[in-house]
Formats: sequence, C-alpha cells, structure tokens
Amino acid sequence: MIEGRLYDGVTAHSHAIRASADGTVLELSNDSGWTERIEGSLLKRMDSTGAELRLGRTDSPGWRLVLPTEAEPELAGLLGRRERYGRWIDRIGLIPALVVGGIVTASVVGIGYVAPAWIAPHVPLSWERNVGGAMVGDFGSLRCRDAGGQQALEALVERVAPGATRGPDAIQVAALDVHAFNAAALPGGYIVVFKPAITETSGDALAGVIAHEVAHVRRRHVTEALIRELGIGALIRLFAGDIGANAEQLVALSYTRANEAQADADAIRMLRRANISPRPIAALFRRLNKESPAFSAEFLQSHPLTGKRAANFEAAFDPHARYMPALAPAQWDALFDICRNHDKQT
Amino acid sequence: MDVMTSAVPAGGDRAIRFTGNWREYLPIAATNALLIICTLGIYRFWASARQRRYLWSRTHFIDDQLEWTGTGREMFFGFLIVIAVLAPFFLFFQFLLPALLARGKTDAAFTIFLLFYCALVYLGGFARFRALRYRLSRTWWHGIRGGSDNPGWRYGAEYFGRVFVAAITLWIAWPWMAVELWNSRWNAMSFGPLQFRAKLDADGLGWLWALVYLVPIAAMIALFVLSAVLGFTLSGSVGRATFGLIFFGMILLVYLAIPLMTLNWYAAYFRHAADATALGDREFGFDATTWDWLKLFLGNLGLATVTLGFGITYWGYRNWSFMVRHLHVYGNVDVADLTQSTTFAPREAEGFADAFDVGAI
Repeated sequence: MIEGRLYDGVTAHSHAIRASADGTVLELSNDSGWTERIEGSLLKRMDSTGAELRLGRTDSPGWRLVLPTEAEPELAGLLGRRERYGRWIDRIGLIPALVVGGIVTASVVGIGYVAPAWIAPHVPLSWERNVGGAMVGDFGSLRCRDAGGQQALEALVERVAPGATRGPDAIQVAALDVHAFNAAALPGGYIVVFKPAITETSGDALAGVIAHEVAHVRRRHVTEALIRELGIGALIRLFAGDIGANAEQLVALSYTRANEAQADADAIRMLRRANISPRPIAALFRRLNKESPAFSAEFLQSHPLTGKRAANFEAAFDPHARYMPALAPAQWDALFDICRNHDKQT
Repeated sequence: MDVMTSAVPAGGDRAIRFTGNWREYLPIAATNALLIICTLGIYRFWASARQRRYLWSRTHFIDDQLEWTGTGREMFFGFLIVIAVLAPFFLFFQFLLPALLARGKTDAAFTIFLLFYCALVYLGGFARFRALRYRLSRTWWHGIRGGSDNPGWRYGAEYFGRVFVAAITLWIAWPWMAVELWNSRWNAMSFGPLQFRAKLDADGLGWLWALVYLVPIAAMIALFVLSAVLGFTLSGSVGRATFGLIFFGMILLVYLAIPLMTLNWYAAYFRHAADATALGDREFGFDATTWDWLKLFLGNLGLATVTLGFGITYWGYRNWSFMVRHLHVYGNVDVADLTQSTTFAPREAEGFADAFDVGAI
C-alpha cells in the first residue's frame, strides 16, 4: 500500500488515496471504501524530472496520480520506461544517438561544404541560363543601352577573353545605371558593371575587373554559390536558426575567399595573354582600400585582403613587356558614355 | 471521499515559488546542447519541451507543482506546418523581389513588398496570440489546464491595425497600443472554467514612454552645451585626443539612454500589466524593477561570455525563474470551482511564434 493523492481531471480536488499493484492492474482505494482498478497499459508517466512519481491516463487527460518516488519499485511492472530525451533518442540511447547524430551532422556539413564545387561544373549552362534569366531578365530600365557603348563593352570582354561573347555559352555583359562602385557575375553567364566602375576608372583597370568576373563565370563559381545557398544554407537556416546562419556564413566566407583568389589568379593570366598592364587594376584596389573604409570593410568580408590583391596584380607587372591599351581611345569614349542617354530612355 | 476544499498558501508563504536550482538543471542543459548540435538543430523542439517540463515542475503554486505536457514532436510538426505557410514569403524575398528589382520594376516590387510586409505583421500578431494559447493549453495544475476557444484571427487584425497607428505616430502611441493588445490577448484566455480579466490602461505608462524620446534629446543638448563649454575652456590645456575621448564617451551615453529608457518602460509595463490582470478572484502582481531586469540581461550576457557560449543554455532557465520569483498571486483558489477546461487544445504548437521569434506573454 502506497499513500498518494489523486486528481480526477474533472475538478481540482485533491483526493487522498492508497495504491497497490496487482499483476498488471493498479488498485486504488480510499478510507470511505471507494476502489478502482486500472489496467497498467492505460497508465503513462507524466514527468521525468519531478521529485514525485506522477502518472496520467491515456484515456483521461487531466487524471493524475501522484505518488512518492519510493513507490517506483513496487509499480515497476506496471509502468513503461521513463521518457528522458524524447522517444526517438531514448530508443537508441543517448551515447549512440550522439555518435550517430554527430557522424550524420558532420557528413551533411561536409557534403554541403564541398558538394557545390563538385556539382557546379556538371550543371548544364542552359539550366543556369533559365535561372539567371528568371532572376534578372534584361535588367529593364536599369540597363544602359547606348549602342556604341555596348559594342565597346563587349569588345573589352573579347579583348581579355577572346571568343567569350560568342557561341552557345556566350557571356552577356551589361552596364547598369546603379550608383555604387561594383561589378558582379550573375547566374547564367551574365556580367554586370555598375556605372561608377566605368566612369571612375580607366579602360585598363576595367579590363582587370571584367577579367575577374569572366573567371567567376568560367569557373562556375556563381553556380556553386547558388547551389550552396539553396541547399545546405536553406537547411541550416531552417533548423539551426541564427547560430546556424552565422556558422554557415563563416563556411561560405572561407569558400568565397578561395574562389576570389582563384578568379584573381585567372584574371592576371588573362591580362598577361591580352598584353594589358596589371598596374591600373592594382592601383584601383589600393585606391578603393584607402578611399572609403566602409566600402573596404564590406569588401574585405568576401574578398581576399584588398592590399594583398593589389600586391598580387602589382607583382604580375613585367617591366620588359610592351603593354597595349585595353581599348582604343574612341572605344573608351563610347564606353564612358554608355549611360549617357539612359535617363531619356526611361 | 476525502476532499480538500480549498488550497490556501501556508501563512506568509508566497503562493507561487520557483524550487529549481542550476545544478539540478545542468544535465538537462548539457544534453540538450549536445543533442541540438548533433542533429543539425532538429532536436531543439525536444530540447525546449524538456526544458519546460523541468521549469514547470519546479514551479510550485500553493500546494502543488505546475506540469508541462507539450511535446517536442508536436512542436516539430507545428514548425513544419508554419514553414509551409511561410514558404511563399521566403520565395518572394529570395527570388521575386530581386528579379523585379533587376528588371527595374521598382513600383511593382515596392507594392508586393508592402503587401507581404503587411501580411507578415498580421501573422506576427497572430503568432503571439497562438503561442500564449498553446502554452496555457499545455500547462496543468491539479489536473486542470488552461486555454482559449478564440482562434486569434481577429487578434491578428487588431494587432495589425494598432501597430499601424503606432507606426504612423512614429511609435509615440506605443504604450496605448501595447496595453490594448495585452487586454485583448489575456481577456481571450482562461484556466479551467475561470476567465482571465485584464483591464490595463496607459495611466503612468505614457510619460515613462516619453522619457525614451526625451532623455536622449536632453542628453544630446547637454552634450552640445558641455562640449561647447569644454571646448572653450580646455582648448588650450588638453590635447585633441583627450577631448575626442570625452566627446566619444558622452555620445555613448546618449546611445545607452535609449535602451535603458526602453527597459525602464517595459519594467513598468509588466508591473502595471500584472496588477491589472486577474483570474477569477485571484489577482496578480509583479515586482521586478528596471534594475532587476538589467541585472537579468547583464547576467545572461556575462554568463554566456565567461562560459564561452554554453551559458546561453541557461537563459531560458534564468528568464523563467526571474518571472516566477517576481510574480505574486493573491487570493485563494477554491478547488471545487476549478473544473476542467473545455477549450480546444491546439495542435500546431508554437510554430508561428517560433518562426517569428516572438515571446508568448
């Protein structure tokens, strides 16, 4: 006989009762002669952490039998196992769960880390073009459409990467009337150059910028970033919340840096082959670094240290080479004015 | 049957007490943290169910503990449901918005953005209501639970309207918004057969809110006067660096004034709100001062810092015990009157609140 109390789930009354186990049945009684027999299969443990043993019934939501913990051995035959960590963890045990979970987590993160780089080269460019087309279209009213300027811009791409603007995998380049110093490679082989990157540089420096973006397209870095963002990135953000997002960003960052360094190395090779001096782009990096701390701080997060980048380009300068300008003066004038008629068009 | 007709707290004792301690909670905190890491975060639903089972069981009301019956499984499924609801929003912000902007269709982008933003504000209010309803429906005492039969759709609309009004007044109307929402939320809730009654008004909260605006402005003016005077008198004697340091320190003070005044307002808001809320004949009180809240937050930050992040697992514990230690309940509970709740027990758990990262109270 164990003394305890019972809440019947109908009112908040506390009834003093005695309990005992009879095979698979729990017997309850009180002083006034009331008795009840309950099948053990109907009973469930309600609390795994309390100082008392609290039992509920699967067929009566508020029914609670509260007994001292010493009653546990006597009722052991009636009660199922105590739920500790959640049923799916309890089934295999804490330590095995941690080991298995740890291995699965490590592999998912590992695959998420390296898989985009493996998959990216195998994604057909036509698929990527569809995604890119859906994302950016033809840039609508943002795009600068001066015909002469566009020709010069494409000539510049051809100059650093001969054949790049022709054929089925052609790179499409566009100047956008956006007031920020930047250029980017987008999914589907698009390269965009913002207006200040044209009007505040020289043809040779812009050639370096474009070579860098062409390298991103050719190395499928954009595809890789897209896969990473949609795959593991979305998964981690979904379940692990902010901490996961931060961790994921760190991972993505280390990857982006490697890609940026690779694109720089490719750009240096392209400039050398095209016989364009790497000095103007080195000077541009130094200027950006000095000019606005806000810009470089943001720039630093995803790009290798700007100072180091400048040094890499500078080191590629060959004093004996006979460098040629990236564009003829007339071409550069046309490119410089590519956004000239933009306001009238919109 | 042997029946206790009325539960009365023993003389002088507090009706509601927290009886847990951090050593007892440590195994839960540690295994929760490990399991969350080893399951890519999926375990966090089960972790929060375990945490609440512990915290509720260590919260003693009059003569018995509270009991939490929510499960990790239901919170996990609730989360999945909400993710399905929010998927269009995610797709919009991730793809449609950049696509429209890239095409220069700024007007269309702005219009759809505004519509989606309104929908998110509505869902945010809805989420808070449902979270409160869910928590009450999983909270038991003496075999009786709480809940609400109100689905919260109208509360979402009211929330949207009041937030809108507060926003166009540059948040000056915030206290009036907050008190009305508190009343609407709590008046829809019950425990057993007893309805919560909330009659909170903004008396005394309005001018405390004005301080959030006035103190930084006053500090700014003082800063200007002081720097003019200092600049005049000290210009010859101290170096520019020292002067810059003094100036920087004073600007920091202005920036600190805003969160401190906001905290001061919230501390008063919770005290007023508890005083104005009742459950049947039971009245509530809450006695945490601004200083108490500040100690809680700084304590949380300090704990996380010195334990290299592990202390974050104790934030839930500290916040809950803080609330319980400062909460007072006055009046007796007539257990014969306290019959079972007939309210609907919701299934989607706290999915919405979880997705919007809002608290329940």
